[in-house]
Amino acid sequence: MGVVNELILGFAEAMTWQNLLFAFVGCLLGTVIGVLPGIGPVAGIALLIPLTLNLDPAGSIIMLCAIFYGTTYGGTITSVLLNTPGEAASAITAIDGYQMTKMGRAGVALTIAAFGSFIGGSIATVGLVLAAKPLGSLGLLIGPPEFFALVVVGISLLVALAGRSMVRALISGALGLLISMVGIDPVMGAPRFTFSMERLLDGVSFVAVIVGVFGLSEILSYRPGKKPVSVHAPGFRSLLPTRQDWKRSTPSFARGTGIGFAMGLIPGMTGSVSSLLSYGAEKKFSKHRAELGHGAIEGVAGPETANNAHANGALIPLFTLGIPASPTIAVLMGAFLQQGLTPGPTLFAEHGTLAWTIIASLFIGNVLLLVLNVPLVGLWTSILRVPYPILAGLILMFMVVGAYTINFSVFDVFVMIIFGLVGVGLRHLDIPLAPMVLTLVLGPLMERSLRESLDISHGSFIIFAERPITMVLLVLALLIIVSPLLKLRKPAALAVDDPES
Amino acid sequence: MKKLISALTVGALSLAATGCSSASGTQSADSFPENGKSIELVVAFSPGGPVDTAARLIQPVLEKELGTNVEVVNKPGAGGQIGYTAIANAKPDGYTIGSVGSPSIVVIPLDESRGAAFSREDLQPLARQVVDPLVIAVQPDSPYSTLKDLLEASKAKPGEINATTTGQMGGEHFAIAQINESTGAAFSPVHFSEGASQASTAFLGKHVGVLVGNVSEVVDLTKQGKAKVLGIMDSKRSDILPEVPTFSEQGYEVISATARGYAAPAGLPDAVAKKLEDAMQAAIENEEVIEKMDNLGLTTSFQNSQEYGEFWAKQEEDYKAVLPLVQAK
Repeated sequence: MGVVNELILGFAEAMTWQNLLFAFVGCLLGTVIGVLPGIGPVAGIALLIPLTLNLDPAGSIIMLCAIFYGTTYGGTITSVLLNTPGEAASAITAIDGYQMTKMGRAGVALTIAAFGSFIGGSIATVGLVLAAKPLGSLGLLIGPPEFFALVVVGISLLVALAGRSMVRALISGALGLLISMVGIDPVMGAPRFTFSMERLLDGVSFVAVIVGVFGLSEILSYRPGKKPVSVHAPGFRSLLPTRQDWKRSTPSFARGTGIGFAMGLIPGMTGSVSSLLSYGAEKKFSKHRAELGHGAIEGVAGPETANNAHANGALIPLFTLGIPASPTIAVLMGAFLQQGLTPGPTLFAEHGTLAWTIIASLFIGNVLLLVLNVPLVGLWTSILRVPYPILAGLILMFMVVGAYTINFSVFDVFVMIIFGLVGVGLRHLDIPLAPMVLTLVLGPLMERSLRESLDISHGSFIIFAERPITMVLLVLALLIIVSPLLKLRKPAALAVDDPES
Repeated sequence: MKKLISALTVGALSLAATGCSSASGTQSADSFPENGKSIELVVAFSPGGPVDTAARLIQPVLEKELGTNVEVVNKPGAGGQIGYTAIANAKPDGYTIGSVGSPSIVVIPLDESRGAAFSREDLQPLARQVVDPLVIAVQPDSPYSTLKDLLEASKAKPGEINATTTGQMGGEHFAIAQINESTGAAFSPVHFSEGASQASTAFLGKHVGVLVGNVSEVVDLTKQGKAKVLGIMDSKRSDILPEVPTFSEQGYEVISATARGYAAPAGLPDAVAKKLEDAMQAAIENEEVIEKMDNLGLTTSFQNSQEYGEFWAKQEEDYKAVLPLVQAK
């Protein structure tokens, strides 16, 4: 009963017109980001964080979550209509989706995808509701030593994000830790790596770094391909799936939800893994598997449901444990921290109403996404007609303004530009950016909780061995680290072309 | 907007009337503030925090009193150092004033490792708005029921009893150092640099036994029976927690508080200073402002510039005495 009551309270808060507006704008922007081929979800969220910094915490997080799951739907649109996935998680949808477009059934594909996203997202959010209370109630048991162990689990995910080269991932991770060290030592108050610059006493602004490393470097290293853009906006009538379409999609919705939700819970898995696995499942189990690849509705329904279930499912470890399971979630976690909220069990103890408001808004957002996307398909496709130079110019302007407004200081604009160049360099050297975000977000938390723990124990490391929760978590982290030796990682074939990692 | 337009109109009219003779040039104190020239109120912290809220509450009253626009400008960063530096280094003409709070405003220039580009002498106090005394609290099921019990227990086991702070050289850390220094107790500080909510969560989870915090922060915990407040570090009892005895009532001379007020760069012309001080007093003592501050759990405690200056000096002395104890080694 407690959960239901709190969720209802959350709904009451989330239904204020401001919060509804934030969710709506978030869905809209998220979809735009998904549609634009130049910008992935990580860069997109990074770009938009400055926009939300001056909102109140609830509004800002609601909007960013909406952007986050909005991107997973936006990518579908271009996959289906243009055969160019807006982002990786929708790549597989292009196979059958584009075939359907050729058959004049683009509207059907998009409508089914929207419904699948809605179903997958909503069911995954129910999972979050069920998991939140039992895990959230552990909040007060989580003292600094336990928190430290949780962060260690988070950092160990670096292994899962490594992609091809572990050494490169470690370089990237170490770089992130190094950057997070700049500023006043949080415990003893001594300035570190500040080069006597007052502006650096607070450390390098997380938002400026993220916007630079992901957003700016993505723009700077964009190479326009030869893509003949030919858009056929579907007419309204062709939007409506037949009864036959619904009947065939239903089992795919179910499989997609299951796969996406389960994969979302596993740290290190990205949305593309979910959609690929779901496509695989359709190929194996669907009654119409022979038609897959030739415009079968299952090939759209399954993966699209899976990637949204994944997106919402991945919020569970973030909300309940404070573990960012993917680079996109790590950026989202950074946004939480910017608002003074530490995701994890203590979130429900310290900011209970806020946490439930955000959860309620996830339901609302999923509905908004559905309502928004079916009628606006034509509009989205016309965005692609904007020439890239103009688009890039707009985005650049947005980034500079965003960086400036962090502290109303030009300093952060320079930080953003410098890290944009750093990002370009890293991309050239083939060093993955994801581990860097992970350590950049988690580094300060790890340092702080370690030193708080040692304050409590008066300097003795035994404190970590004395506490059962801490021990279990540390052993778990160890298992994750050695897992590559046991070949428990995601299949190499999936890791190669996954731009999220 | 309306205000802006009328200010512009007045400005244009007066320019026309004087035949564009000398609208600028040397400014006489009587004409402060000049028509249409707005005053910047620098807040050294982010929008939305308590310091910012207080500044935005007095802003409309200040505008009315001074007859010109007052703009609240946030210059957050480095625990206040960036904004404070901006205030201290501004031209002392009255058009830049700012919010200041202790301990940060007192400690930053004292701590050499921070390399602050201003000192106490670069600022001149205008008015104090709020004093939020510190208290010491224990778990509700704690064996210690008086301050004496707790302090004696800490003396018996030096360094073993932990107490929360909100960071090295924060107000709580100074308070703990002052307690240790003047009572012979030996509490170990546990620094929660994230802030008060982190500290009280660790206290609620019983990871740390003793909570040191501001009155405004422990009020709710006390009401819910989740904390037992043993003493308040002020010269008199608090209106919000009237049942809690002061330290001095229990025989220990410890006074420690977070205080917030307003200051200007040193060297204001006397008449300008007077005008600003009067406007500040009117704004801080405005009933509506006081009520809104009360709702935030902050008791208004006005002091004029001279009193605030003395209070500031006293705090500086107290902090200086224990500074070596709280500085990073």
